[in-house]
Amino acid sequence: MGSSKAAIATSGGVDSTVCAVLALRALGDRLICFFMDTGFMREGEVEEVRAMLTSLGLPLKVLSVNDRFLRALEGKTDAESKRLAFRDTFYTILGEAVKGEGCEILIQGTIAPDWIETSGGIKTQHNVLEQLGVDTMSRFGFKLLEPLLDLYKDQVRALARYLGVEITSSNRQPFPGPGLLVRCIGAVKEDKLDVVKKATFIVEDHLRQITRPPQQYLAAVIEDDRTPAGKEIDRILSKVHDGGSAYYLAGRATGVKGDDRAYGKMIVVSGIEKEPKDLFDMPERLVHADREIVRVLYSIRDNRAKSARDRRIKRYFVIVRAVDTRDFMTAKPSAVSLSVLQEIAKGILKDKKVAAVAYDLTSKPPATVEFE
Amino acid sequence: MGGQYNHLIVRALKELGVSSKLIPQSTSLEELKVDGLIMGGGPHSVNDGLNKLGRTPEIIEGCTFPLLGICLSHQLIGKVMGGEVVKGRQPEYGRTLVRVLEADDIFLGIDREFVAWASHNDEVRKNGGRFKILANSEYCDVEALKVDGRPIYGVQFHVEVADTPRGKDILNNFTKLCKK
Repeated sequence: MGSSKAAIATSGGVDSTVCAVLALRALGDRLICFFMDTGFMREGEVEEVRAMLTSLGLPLKVLSVNDRFLRALEGKTDAESKRLAFRDTFYTILGEAVKGEGCEILIQGTIAPDWIETSGGIKTQHNVLEQLGVDTMSRFGFKLLEPLLDLYKDQVRALARYLGVEITSSNRQPFPGPGLLVRCIGAVKEDKLDVVKKATFIVEDHLRQITRPPQQYLAAVIEDDRTPAGKEIDRILSKVHDGGSAYYLAGRATGVKGDDRAYGKMIVVSGIEKEPKDLFDMPERLVHADREIVRVLYSIRDNRAKSARDRRIKRYFVIVRAVDTRDFMTAKPSAVSLSVLQEIAKGILKDKKVAAVAYDLTSKPPATVEFE
Repeated sequence: MGGQYNHLIVRALKELGVSSKLIPQSTSLEELKVDGLIMGGGPHSVNDGLNKLGRTPEIIEGCTFPLLGICLSHQLIGKVMGGEVVKGRQPEYGRTLVRVLEADDIFLGIDREFVAWASHNDEVRKNGGRFKILANSEYCDVEALKVDGRPIYGVQFHVEVADTPRGKDILNNFTKLCKK
């Protein structure tokens, strides 16, 4: 790249932070580091990330642009159109910032699963452009440089250790670029974002402290809109788990079936009180009964209001997801105990906007780790 | 073949100390100067997407080196060898329990039952095909096969993913066949 200046986009996550440290070592003061406050960050995250990146010696510039994202996402409910709107807004803003610094090169910490899933049409990762044939120079005004392109997550962590830099984020929960946007299933609204922000804080706070924390844990939110699943599903439930009932949620979630993208139904199983690990065979049984299912959720606590008026207040449904995985290409649900999940649910239900809390029992495949 | 896990095959082989290269499916049999070949999965179906699978059918027909087909490529081997590929009565996504019927070369030293990760809509039926069934599962009759009289193997599940704990041992067994 000669003697020109370069910019790096970092989210404070492991991949982009490791990449930024690598770039700093290579370029020194020819590097400028951008961090974007999209409005989809977790509670306190903007301040934390700012402090961490500064402590690593990165020349940081924070772009506060949440209004532009909210505007770009208005009225969008489909997962892919949300991701595309996010990506375009993200790079338009970055393009302006890069140009403002007089740079032509943008470095980013894209890793293998990002482009493999995007090229495979599973989901559009916000940071994948060239692999899709997007000409970044003519469209956004910069050339891309992606040094971590062939690495998997665990290899990036190894690189972080090798670099010997104290990256606090390498112990933090992986967080997707579009952030809470993809955990706000369906339409993005400010009150819904508020619910998922609080729930994420509670989930991370509890699961960080258990003896063997899952590799990734998170919360997602969707409107509480239920349709009974019907007799065939109830029959399966009574056969294999002596009882319980099930309902579908109105929204859709992303999955991966037979190497192909799936955008399917979520079903909630309720009226059972068992340890989650004893229910891990539930998804395969229900998917066999209804092939459009991509997620099977286990109702932990349900405070659904009786009257229609109160249901307008208690309008959201929160999903807790925790998985064990090496490289995020495949994953299995984590055997978090029922008592821990009940504690988490109790905390989340203090928010009067939340009607119920459920735990995701689905592996990847057929689900993905994130919801959209 | 366009599968998302194909890079994991390269990674697993690297960890086994075997050097490998990812090549496009348009490669012809004549161009292939290899000790062995692994063909990965992908999103297509061999029944209506045969034109999207490059020159892989002729490689299966004519190769003399050991060949391992995974998922879609397993199905392709089944079809090329005269078997049938149909929509699975119960598609498998995620965890499945594979039962070994023949502890043949690739299952040497592997438990008779092991946990594997699978992700498929179609499956192979023998129906007169020129291969032997090496393993099955509750939901799928042909989880693994070996072609009669040739060093060609197919596995319906994914040996290359971390959630198939014995997958790497199966790959290792296959690479040993290649060194002979």
